[in-house]
Amino acid sequence: MFLRYLLPCVAVFLVACDNDPNPVPLKKSRPDGSPWLVRYGALPEAPRSLDPQVAYDQMSRRILEPIYDCLLEYHPFKTDPYEVVPCMLEAMPVKTGLTDGKIEYRCKLKRGIYFHDDACFPGGKGREVTAQDVEYAWKRMCDPQVECPVVSTLWDYIAGMKDGYEAAKKTGSFDYKAPFAGLEVVDSHTFKVHLLKPYPQILYWMAMHFTAPVAQEAVAYYDGGMHPDGPDGKTIRRKRFDQHPVGTGPFLYLHELSDPDQKFRLIRNDRYLTTRFPTEGWPADRDLVCAPLAGKQLPIVDEICITLFRESIPIWLLTRQGYLDGMGVSKDAYSSVVSATHELTPELRAKGMSLEKDVDVSTFYTSINMEDPLLGKNKKLRQALSCAFDAEGQNEIFFNGVREIAQQILSPGIPGYRKDYRNPYGFNPEKAKQLIAEAGYPNGIDPATGMPLQITLETSGNDADGRMMTQFEQQCYERLGIKVVTVENTFAKMLEKQDNGNFQLSSGTGWGADYPDPENYLMLFYGKNLPPQGKNNSRYKNPEFDRLFEQMATMENSPERMEIVHRMIDIMNEDCSVIFTNHKAYYSLIQPWAPRTHDNSMLEGGMKYSTLYPEVRTQKRKEWNR
Amino acid sequence: MLNYVIRRLFYTIPILLGVMIVTFSLFFVIGSRESMARSNLGPRAKPEDVKNWIAQRGYDRPLIINLSQNDPYYSAARPWHYSILMDQIGRFARFDFGESDFNREDIGIRIRKGAIPSLLVTLPAAIIGLLLAIGLSLLQVFYRNRAVDTGMTISCVVMMSIVPMAYIIAMQAFMAIHLRWFPVFGFDEMAGWGSLRFLILPIIIMTVLGLGSDVRFYRSIFLEEVAQDYVRTARAKGVSNPRVLLTHVLKNGAISLITVVVASLPLLIMGSILIESFFGIPGLGSLVVDAISKQDFATVRSAVFVGSLLYLAGLVLTDICYAIADPRIRLS
Repeated sequence: MFLRYLLPCVAVFLVACDNDPNPVPLKKSRPDGSPWLVRYGALPEAPRSLDPQVAYDQMSRRILEPIYDCLLEYHPFKTDPYEVVPCMLEAMPVKTGLTDGKIEYRCKLKRGIYFHDDACFPGGKGREVTAQDVEYAWKRMCDPQVECPVVSTLWDYIAGMKDGYEAAKKTGSFDYKAPFAGLEVVDSHTFKVHLLKPYPQILYWMAMHFTAPVAQEAVAYYDGGMHPDGPDGKTIRRKRFDQHPVGTGPFLYLHELSDPDQKFRLIRNDRYLTTRFPTEGWPADRDLVCAPLAGKQLPIVDEICITLFRESIPIWLLTRQGYLDGMGVSKDAYSSVVSATHELTPELRAKGMSLEKDVDVSTFYTSINMEDPLLGKNKKLRQALSCAFDAEGQNEIFFNGVREIAQQILSPGIPGYRKDYRNPYGFNPEKAKQLIAEAGYPNGIDPATGMPLQITLETSGNDADGRMMTQFEQQCYERLGIKVVTVENTFAKMLEKQDNGNFQLSSGTGWGADYPDPENYLMLFYGKNLPPQGKNNSRYKNPEFDRLFEQMATMENSPERMEIVHRMIDIMNEDCSVIFTNHKAYYSLIQPWAPRTHDNSMLEGGMKYSTLYPEVRTQKRKEWNR
Repeated sequence: MLNYVIRRLFYTIPILLGVMIVTFSLFFVIGSRESMARSNLGPRAKPEDVKNWIAQRGYDRPLIINLSQNDPYYSAARPWHYSILMDQIGRFARFDFGESDFNREDIGIRIRKGAIPSLLVTLPAAIIGLLLAIGLSLLQVFYRNRAVDTGMTISCVVMMSIVPMAYIIAMQAFMAIHLRWFPVFGFDEMAGWGSLRFLILPIIIMTVLGLGSDVRFYRSIFLEEVAQDYVRTARAKGVSNPRVLLTHVLKNGAISLITVVVASLPLLIMGSILIESFFGIPGLGSLVVDAISKQDFATVRSAVFVGSLLYLAGLVLTDICYAIADPRIRLS
């Protein structure tokens, strides 16, 4: 009797007694007998959409990158400056200037690129990608129902985009049969992109998923409706296209084994021949890892399993157990991973792990409202505030000193970024005091009232960390003798105030570059780019700056363009319409069996370049879980 | 009985309407659809994107009623009830929760899908926790005012004082990292019985989490019963102490237990926010956390509605169980 109950309990316990949370790999070995390589990764947030014309957030891009190839792509190693190279295109687009000032780019797709095998195609076999698929994808961007987040940016440059969008808004649906002026199909593999004005940055957009070709069959098939797809023709709900990506990239999305609330599983696309591992460009210290991969057909690994984590602690625990192939170092794990001297802790080094630091293409700052009657008209006061802010101190206290102090709007790697450049109004308490006196407020006292000058600092950081950071910033300015009143806003309220110019100082403003071009940063200060249409939150207007911006925006990178960029940075730093804080940077913990094979922070994981040493992983896992 | 149940069900309608109106006011009157759009679209959204977001989600209509011509969303071609409030009430009445503001996923499907993983953790934990709590509280009553009782009371108070997060971290560290019996994290619906290994640790933690307060509460219920005349009579007749507790006290105390236990049963579907987040269980608890953190207001509204519906269902069930447990109670 006792055994009758005990045995099932023991059986259940034995089933439970395994601490590996990863699913069983799809195969044990490849057809040639070599080991089946699976990479296990973590995703800290759920992706918003797996529709390439919609996905704008980092998490969605991380899942989409291995599934959808783009027309162009970032070179995995060339980051100073960043470089785009052909991916689905045979060669870089050929630009032609037309007599009416319009621009045309002629693009030719590689032959033999196929969509992933999927039920949406006849016989379940993916067909070859053609120029019509690119045209269809670009038309999708103009469809209001698709909700492409960049359409309103691109329609200023790509012909016919705004007209298509407006027409669809009026009629209620987009006419996919109507011709699209922005993209002309020349033949099955050639197309021309028509621009309204010079815009060399279009090449960067071609390296983004928004412009990646999409199969019309897939969008039509995955409509989210009820269809007789179930066993014995049972009617079941079919997924929507944004839940069931059908791409052209190195990995196929296994929708039966994936759950967007939990796990994403991808398998190697056996028909993928589009790209190979670069034959040059990696830094010398990566030679050991990259040289054996040079020229190899991508992808290197066979399967990817990405698990969604809502808390950061389990990511660290699983990495320590060897069940994740690396992680971004979060605050929870920081002291266990990084020593006071910014090195890997000896315990983890002994395990064979390594630490890498990446600087993001982003810049954070506090915006000063240039239309504010007090701050807008008093340059010395703005300069004093800029000199009073201790960016280094903020970095040490709140970011463990990981971030890079911003001296200028451009982030490292962007053409025009000067490594040795120092902001003339960077942290300097003595200079700050002198400047505030010159501004007419000696020791921060307003002579008109005899009281400390009062300035309002708006913030949307409503959590504990955010509040402390606001307090830190407030104290920095108050050292000048002025009084800083802080106002907490919801995120939406903060945006509304920025749109209406209803603020004095707006803390925590930042910009993550869409593409690595100075234009993408400097447009934040262009006088015609005022909110709500533009993102010139400081409402900065300087005719000289605007003139130089208009000149440089359409130029190709050249020494002449860089000279203009440097001049613009000097002008805006002198005017102090923002107070720079930092460029986002983070540490990644690398497992000994999964070394880094790319250095480009414009890539979202670069999974197709990833490699794996399975024997090392097996051995270390055993060791660490003994 | 049937009349009573039907009457009770009708009583729930105004309460649900009230819940809907309060939630609607919180999101659409105190907040605004524009701020919802901005929160979802992020800082780069342009006015056209905001407008399109509002239109695509059907929020481009008057708030309460389509009668005021001053309302920018007023439409002469539409009937008076063409409004967000009426639309929401109609949809919720049909259990059509619409699409998520975050990823446009069907909320109804997501709620149905999330209920199973939630129940896989909360139901076993509730049953085991109930049995353990009853057993331990009876033990305390059996040894009342003695060292065992005092020791258990102190333990319960200590257990109640520790924050849930500490239990999770400590038990993860001990059972999953030190002993390596269970995975630290994860869930695999497709693994069949293999998914058990992901569930045992969350179930243990969840059971332990409620044990302290439950034992204290049940002890007080049983102590009250022990002081009743019928217990004294039973003892006077020579019935043994264990028999008095297990047969008489437990049975009569059950009526009070029903109040707590049955009312909370439907809410088990809503899962546990903390446990699900820490163990990666894709239940309704994590759905709510995700929805709040992603400003997915449509999902939050639906979860609030489902939560209140389940709460009301729990109250109706409690009343029915009263009548079954104690025939003296008349449902009139």
